[in-house]
Amino acid sequence: MAKKIVLFCAGGFSTSLLVNKMKEAAAAKGKEYEIAAYAVTQFDEVGLNADAILIGPQVRYVVAKLKTEHPELKISDIPMKMYGTMDGKGALELAEKLIGEE
Amino acid sequence: MEGTELIAFNIIATVGTARSNYIGAIDAAAEGNFEEAEKLIKEGQDAYVEGHDAHAKLLTQTAQGNAVTMDLLLTHAEDQLMSAEAFGILAERFVTLYKKVYNK
Repeated sequence: MAKKIVLFCAGGFSTSLLVNKMKEAAAAKGKEYEIAAYAVTQFDEVGLNADAILIGPQVRYVVAKLKTEHPELKISDIPMKMYGTMDGKGALELAEKLIGEE
Repeated sequence: MEGTELIAFNIIATVGTARSNYIGAIDAAAEGNFEEAEKLIKEGQDAYVEGHDAHAKLLTQTAQGNAVTMDLLLTHAEDQLMSAEAFGILAERFVTLYKKVYNK
């Protein structure tokens, strides 16, 4: 089954464009992932069973709390430059590092 | 990705980072960690300036007669910009307030 990569930001709106870029990057590598973006308020519904979790710079302040509350989850923030340039390839590599697939 | 779209994302990323830093600063001050709070505010201001400059370029472009197409993404970027600005103002006041609470 395809690994699940979930991205969170304030509303899940702008991040969904990064998701599209990541899907393109995955397709270019011939990899298959389930990638989706949500609002951070939906974390408990959709974040708990994700294989990798990426947090947008707008809500980076939740990362420390989430890591403390869910030490078993693989969570990283998305660096500002990576997000600002919509670097789907970089974001995919970040997620793959979390999953342990390169 | 087109120019304006990329600028919008640059604004969202930079001012979004600023906003996160400001909220982090309030959290740090609440714990009595004022050195960290002030560091976060400073870093937030640097990121905010970057986003503000990107936005100013769009304003300049508009003033020069090259109107920017207003779409939801750019509206979202301006919304984030305003939210970050407000959080910056409030974060400084919260830090001052917590210093009084902690008698610093």
